[in-house]
Amino acid sequence: MAATLTNPLRVGLRQERVIPPQCLIIFGASGDLTHRKLIPALFELFLQRRLSSEFAVLGCARRPWSDEVFRQTMAERLQPTVSANPQAWEQFSQGLFYEPVDLQQPEHLARLAQRLEQVDRQRATRGERTFYLSVSPAFYGSGARALAGAGLLADRQRSRLVIEKPFGTDYASAQQLNRVVKSCGQENQLFRIDHYLGKETVQNIMVLRFANSIFEPLWNRNHISSVQITAAETVGVEQRASYYEKSGALKDMVQNHLTQMLALTAMEPPGRFEPESIRNEKAKVLQAAHLASPEQPWTCCVRGQYGSGGTAEHPLASYRHEPGVDPDSITETYVAVKLFIDNWRWQGVPFYLRTGKHLAKRLSEVALTFRDAPVRLFDAAAGGVSANQFVIRIQPDEGATFRFEVKAPGSGMRSRPISMDFSYDESFGEPSDEGYVRLLADAMLGDPTLFTRSDEVEAAWRLYTPILEGLKQSPDKFPAHPYEAGTWGPAESDELLARDGLLWRRP
Amino acid sequence: MVPQVTLQAPLKLPPHAVTDHLKQLWEHPGEGYNGSATFTLVVWEPAWLEQHLARLGLLQDAVMGMQRPCLVDAARRAIGAYGLPSATAPLSSTLAQTLATQSGENGRYDDLRGQAIDNSISELQPHRMITLAPTIAADQPLDALVAAYCSLPEDNSPGGSVCGDVLVLRGGAASIATELDLLPQWIPTQLPCWVLWEGALGEHTDIFERLAAAQRRLIVDTALGETEPSLRILAQRIAASQAVSDLNWYRLGSWRESLARAFDAQDRRAALNHVVQVDIDVEGDQLCQGLLLAAWIASRLQWSLQTGRRQQDSSVYRFQRPDGFMVDLRLVSVPVGFPKPHAGSILGLRLLCRPPDGKELCAVLCGEASGCMRLEGGDISSRDLVEEIVPLMEGSLEVQETRVLAGGHDTTNPLLATTAQLADQMLAATAASET
Repeated sequence: MAATLTNPLRVGLRQERVIPPQCLIIFGASGDLTHRKLIPALFELFLQRRLSSEFAVLGCARRPWSDEVFRQTMAERLQPTVSANPQAWEQFSQGLFYEPVDLQQPEHLARLAQRLEQVDRQRATRGERTFYLSVSPAFYGSGARALAGAGLLADRQRSRLVIEKPFGTDYASAQQLNRVVKSCGQENQLFRIDHYLGKETVQNIMVLRFANSIFEPLWNRNHISSVQITAAETVGVEQRASYYEKSGALKDMVQNHLTQMLALTAMEPPGRFEPESIRNEKAKVLQAAHLASPEQPWTCCVRGQYGSGGTAEHPLASYRHEPGVDPDSITETYVAVKLFIDNWRWQGVPFYLRTGKHLAKRLSEVALTFRDAPVRLFDAAAGGVSANQFVIRIQPDEGATFRFEVKAPGSGMRSRPISMDFSYDESFGEPSDEGYVRLLADAMLGDPTLFTRSDEVEAAWRLYTPILEGLKQSPDKFPAHPYEAGTWGPAESDELLARDGLLWRRP
Repeated sequence: MVPQVTLQAPLKLPPHAVTDHLKQLWEHPGEGYNGSATFTLVVWEPAWLEQHLARLGLLQDAVMGMQRPCLVDAARRAIGAYGLPSATAPLSSTLAQTLATQSGENGRYDDLRGQAIDNSISELQPHRMITLAPTIAADQPLDALVAAYCSLPEDNSPGGSVCGDVLVLRGGAASIATELDLLPQWIPTQLPCWVLWEGALGEHTDIFERLAAAQRRLIVDTALGETEPSLRILAQRIAASQAVSDLNWYRLGSWRESLARAFDAQDRRAALNHVVQVDIDVEGDQLCQGLLLAAWIASRLQWSLQTGRRQQDSSVYRFQRPDGFMVDLRLVSVPVGFPKPHAGSILGLRLLCRPPDGKELCAVLCGEASGCMRLEGGDISSRDLVEEIVPLMEGSLEVQETRVLAGGHDTTNPLLATTAQLADQMLAATAASET
């Protein structure tokens, strides 16, 4: 008989954290994120019975929709999931409501407050509210002010505000935005989303490090020679040209996602598994991080832009030929940076971060390379001994691999590397939740562990400020080196590591 | 955790005056107080054991209706003092029934049932808590006690006080029953209402039927009563589409998680298609937990029940797997020297898989506190062995109740629904085999 694909005993066991009654208010409810991520995540939580029956979603946007139109629109856009679960959707959608709101209109806010009271009564949501700003980043500050002005964030215990990325466009704008939102609510009410932190495997970095005594003694400058953090995509800019042209890979990926992975990889163990303890350690390590050469940032940062590539059957257009992209664009679609962390644990250990679009393979990983054995007793079967490596695979094929040397079979004493592998798919009887499922649930539970605090955000922006300022002042020093779409990025990126006698991983 | 007590002394009223008083309590024109918009909790809190222990001077504390360590300790002492078998579970109905036959009024005690609220529940800010507190003196006249309750503001929150009220009906069960017609007036229709039945299922069925109306969400504990009525009533209520939670089902959580974990590895999942034998050991002869665990396994693996028969200390069930093979499931009552507080706790589980072309796989789960040498016997070393230690479930009864109340659902968990129906069928099968 064929192996069962899932473990039937696993079904329904993940119910330990049920979200208490509340109303989730989504601003930008007619936008993409709502039907692509937020409502599907909520429906998934509903199917898992992790949402209370006293639950409501109030969609808000400028469009003059009714409750029924909102429900119908969501039902259409969530196909085929809705058709597969018609009864559950019927029940879930009874909790969907809609109110036309322009956050810049005070009278709309007054009407919204009344509607929330009504929804509270109708759905017994106990005055618990989570406001989700899924609007243009330009409106984060004014949106927060509008909500605070209407008194909707006044209850510090029962109202929360979720803000999507990007949080600012540089250090100064992030500081300014932090000042605004912190004047509207307490830090414990603010949930800045970085959806990478919703990934099971990113969270697993903490568990691997701090739940096992075998790793932490090795997790320092005495045993680790370098760290590579990679987030590679095979897709191009797709439909996001207007946003991407302004952000580029550094702001889109490095400042947030890769830096969060860096923080989790390099942070000190928190004293307790509590949100503030963890966020303290993350902030501290980011504050200790700096570019390898902040004075000459162009020596430790390589930018690239994909040219055409692919095959005759599947040609890939160059970035400058993508719809919506300036034909003379110098926006980077690839970036690699070298960092150091000035603390006792990591002094002198280089951290290399890279990300790019239209690379050879889709993968995100953290790879720690260990120092060579102090004495080389054995020849390697393939000529050179490979350094031990521990690789945490974030996506796809989530898991971890430990690479070390063993004796190659035969009469001699030659060594060769082998891999010891852990795979989520192989080891666990159920798939992981999508990142938004976890993050939405945590925000509604009021658990900020996986959300970035103001000082973390600012430290992350400050880390890359020399590059961002250099780009403004001396753009010639930061050329966007062309690379063929479908490869591992520009040759200059390889040179960045070659100068240190290292190679990028090509997994 | 120290329970919170109402800040104002409860006002004693005749029951027929309660409705008006509750209305007045929240009528403060201009101040906007309506009480918290959360839920109503109706609790049937007989606390027979606690009352008897206090009456006999074995519990030097007020009766609170809470499962406190001092209650379990006093119960264990009483088991020895009254010559009951050491295998008697402290919170089982056996002890309470034994104490009920003992005469004596050695203890004077305060009855704070309904007035002392566990922090974990008060943090949920119930709109109204109605406690029905039957006294062991069946002829005691009814007292109605009413008090407003406001949680203390935290962190200087400007969100305003969130208040609720508590109402206690205390007296003989018969006198409580005569006033139950007033209950609907005290339960706001616009808020969800939970009925927490902290007594044995099958006891005071008339009151149970009137309290647990179909639209109310029911929380029961099948560990508290006899096996047959507990499971029968649980299954009936679920079949009638009522939202039911069973605290005993929650106690099984670590066993279900541990068994699932044993088969998480990809190379073991296929073995679940080839289970041939299951053995479950339970403490004593209260079989609810054991039957629920067995029925959960059977329903998840899509086995259909064929027969059931009772033997001396065990019940044996035969199931048919989807591929037609038969599985024997044995539920064994094992006396233990130091039982857990609730009757019928699981001691261990053994599940034997026999793939057609592979080595036999044997999964053994042992309770953290008990070990399971009996299940480790039978030459399991010749098989591929997966052994897990099942941790004790943490948290008091009140914490488990809070989990249910905090994440309220108006439907029964489908896993519990399926499991309870099958467990009831298993019970019926053994009963049928005896007639």
